Amino acid sequence: MWERVKYWMETRIGLDDLVRSQVTDYRVPKNINIFYTLGFVAAAGYLIQVLSGILLLIYYVPHPDHAFKSVQFIMHKVPFGWLFRQMHVVGSNLMIAAIGLHMLTVFAMGNYKRPRELTWIGGALLLFVTIAFGFSGYLLPWTQLSYWATTVVTSIPTAVPVVGDFVAGILRGGDQVTGATLSRFFAFHVSILPPLFMLLVGIHLFLIKRIGISATPFGLHAEEKRPWTEYHKKSHADGYPYYPRFFQMDMLMVMVYLAVMFALITITPNLFFPEEATIPANPFKTPVTVRPEWYLLAPYQMLKIIPNKFLGIIIQLALFLVFLLWPFFDTEKEKNIMKRPLLRGLFLFSFVLWLILMFWGRS
Amino acid sequence: MRYLVLSVMMIMSLPSFSAAGYREDFAQEFLSKTWAGERIEENACIDCHSSEQMKPAFQDIVDEWKKSWHAQNTIYCQDCHGGDPKDPSVSMTHQRGFVGSPSARQVPEFCGKCHIGILKNYLESGHGKALRATGKGPHCTVCHGSHNVQRANIDIINEQRCAKCHSYERAKVMKQALFLVEKKAGEIEDGIKALRRAGVYPDEQERALFNTQAEFRTLFHTVDVSLVNERTDEFTRKLGAIEKDIQGTFIELRSRKNFSAFLMALFSGMGIVIFLITKTPDK
Ligand code: HEC
Ligand code: HEC
Ligand code: HEC
Ligand code: HEC
Ligand code: HEC
Repeated sequence: MWERVKYWMETRIGLDDLVRSQVTDYRVPKNINIFYTLGFVAAAGYLIQVLSGILLLIYYVPHPDHAFKSVQFIMHKVPFGWLFRQMHVVGSNLMIAAIGLHMLTVFAMGNYKRPRELTWIGGALLLFVTIAFGFSGYLLPWTQLSYWATTVVTSIPTAVPVVGDFVAGILRGGDQVTGATLSRFFAFHVSILPPLFMLLVGIHLFLIKRIGISATPFGLHAEEKRPWTEYHKKSHADGYPYYPRFFQMDMLMVMVYLAVMFALITITPNLFFPEEATIPANPFKTPVTVRPEWYLLAPYQMLKIIPNKFLGIIIQLALFLVFLLWPFFDTEKEKNIMKRPLLRGLFLFSFVLWLILMFWGRS
Repeated sequence: MRYLVLSVMMIMSLPSFSAAGYREDFAQEFLSKTWAGERIEENACIDCHSSEQMKPAFQDIVDEWKKSWHAQNTIYCQDCHGGDPKDPSVSMTHQRGFVGSPSARQVPEFCGKCHIGILKNYLESGHGKALRATGKGPHCTVCHGSHNVQRANIDIINEQRCAKCHSYERAKVMKQALFLVEKKAGEIEDGIKALRRAGVYPDEQERALFNTQAEFRTLFHTVDVSLVNERTDEFTRKLGAIEKDIQGTFIELRSRKNFSAFLMALFSGMGIVIFLITKTPDK
């Protein structure tokens, strides 16, 4: 039976050839390391978000009067609803962490360099889409925590003269965070961001396959030395086949991701549910501490300490552009960060600055 | 090329220097002000009564009220005294429903507009009857105050307050009768707090406790010790049901923990298996 199904497929879409070209003959460089799996882990993380998200979507009601109650219903009445909510919440944070780590290691290995500038830009955009996912999803449970975090973050654009209030108005659908904001964020979260994300992932994967995975890291390679005048695919004829060797590594890391996820759910089930997250949103009662999600803390804190808010926003936009277009700023041929003290210094400096701002923002 | 981009960005940031001081007050309060504060309505009673020209005897009333449980539950001056908080020129006129300050005998009905069950029990009690007959019974504000009204508990019954008109013995017997149920209610309140710390929204339990407690405390106002003793069992049972519910939730939380620990072990195990497979040499 199985053989016949396979044969049927084979004669129509050329299954063998597909598997051969995409999986077994697809080769990855010999000196590949564990950090190369992080992109796959992030993609698996996204799949987990999609599956758990669909289950939440079945019971969730995006209306200020019902949102909180429906989430409580999921937590206490729906069989295993708590598990899917926990997976979705913990997963959203872990996914951002995985993508962040992915970009850090890509950065450290200099793999954003020619010819992979576009791949980097696609990845950076994916990070921002993921953060937008996190930010919009944060409001949906309609708790004190989410309501006030959204209020402070959506008030950031109002510091920009002339268009600021307009932008904030678009985000909130009014002057305050209201039911209109909830509808907007919900639509954004479940119907605008997912296709955008898939599109970017498609482009990202296409570029990786088309250009060929970068032969790691350290040292100068032929592709960097040669003047770049024509397309050249890197195929690593001497490398490992993707399947099974590298696929196993991918899956190993996915298991690590899942184990960490359930470890967090087991050990600190309330990590992402502080007291304010169990109180329904009350627009008339500002909680003592209002702060956004951890991944927005650093920019938030930076805005807070720069006295002129407009300047602060301009600086952030500039940093955003530098980050997005980094491959065009760093045109040095040397990929090895160990041989580039200046870049290493910059890298460490920004990383430490980010950490400081984040912890400062917490307090 | 990149120098071009850099310099464009430098130029872009120039307007921000010229815009220094732009919306200064905005910048000061930015991200730290309380948004809710803006939305408390204008209230003429509060404005005028907290102003300088108010006579000294009345000056503390607004501050006292602000601390009260009523204020936190959005019960304003006009909800008790009537009148119109919108228009200061006519706010204290009969046309706008202003009823003034109640006399001692009027107080029970004054408060009883909202606390209906308590009013009924109170009027039938020794205290209520005494107030009616001789004016000697204590009315609501003797025990609760009029403006700084706080959440009630049995500590209201103390020697200082209850021994003014009769021996404290009577009051003490009452306090003992209340003690058992109040103690249990206190324990349940702690349980609910613990649930909240565990990330649960204990809405149902809280409401059940509130209703039971309100019903029981209404009973106090009869100041009838035998009636309280008679119904203590009934209330203990009701509270017991809530307690059981809370314990059930904790058991549920523990089983969730076990389940996710199981999943953690499962995925760790699968990770180890895959790791071992990667270590076996290729054929
Ligand atoms: C324009 C100022 C002003 C406004 C507005 C105002 N009051 Fe008064 N109110 C006074 C003054 C002055 C007195 C003291 C009168 C006196 O000398 O006994 C007073 C007295 C009172 C008294 C005591 C009356 C008595 O019989 O002893 C009450 C109760 C009262 N106000 C309630 C209110 C309420 C409720 C509102 C809003 C609906 C309000 N007031 C609005 C100025 C004001
Ligand atoms: C819970 C009901 C309640 C609320 C709310 C309330 N009061 Fe009163 N108020 C009373 C009662 C009862 C008295 C009777 C006097 C007493 O026992 O202190 C009174 C008396 C007064 C008096 C006369 C005091 C005296 O010594 O003659 C003034 C003035 C007054 N209230 C103003 C206010 C103002 C202003 C507010 C709003 C900030 C307010 N009240 C809110 C219940 C209330
Ligand atoms: C306009 C309606 C209204 C009036 C009049 C009113 N109250 Fe209240 N009272 C409330 C509300 C609403 C609450 C808060 C809900 C609750 O806790 O029961 C409350 C709460 C209380 C509480 C605390 C209950 C608890 O949970 O421990 C006390 C005590 C109290 N009131 C006493 C009084 C007294 C004494 C008066 C008269 C001076 C009065 N109230 C007049 C509406 C009113
Ligand atoms: C303003 C005076 C006054 C205060 C204060 C007072 N009482 Fe009384 N109490 C009375 C009067 C009057 C009676 C009824 C006449 C009698 O039986 O002596 C009474 C009766 C009682 C009775 C017996 C009721 C009955 O039907 O047998 C109890 C119990 C009681 N009070 C408890 C208290 C408690 C508890 C407090 C303090 C929270 C308190 N009283 C404060 C005046 C007061
Ligand atoms: C003799 C003192 C006394 C008098 C008079 C009195 N109360 Fe109370 N009240 C108490 C005590 C004591 C409690 C708390 C009982 C307990 O903890 O079991 C209480 C509780 C309450 C509560 C809280 C019920 C709840 O939901 O938790 C309200 C509301 C209240 N009283 C309103 C009134 C009103 C209205 C009047 C006037 C009609 C009044 N009281 C008269 C002593 C008094």
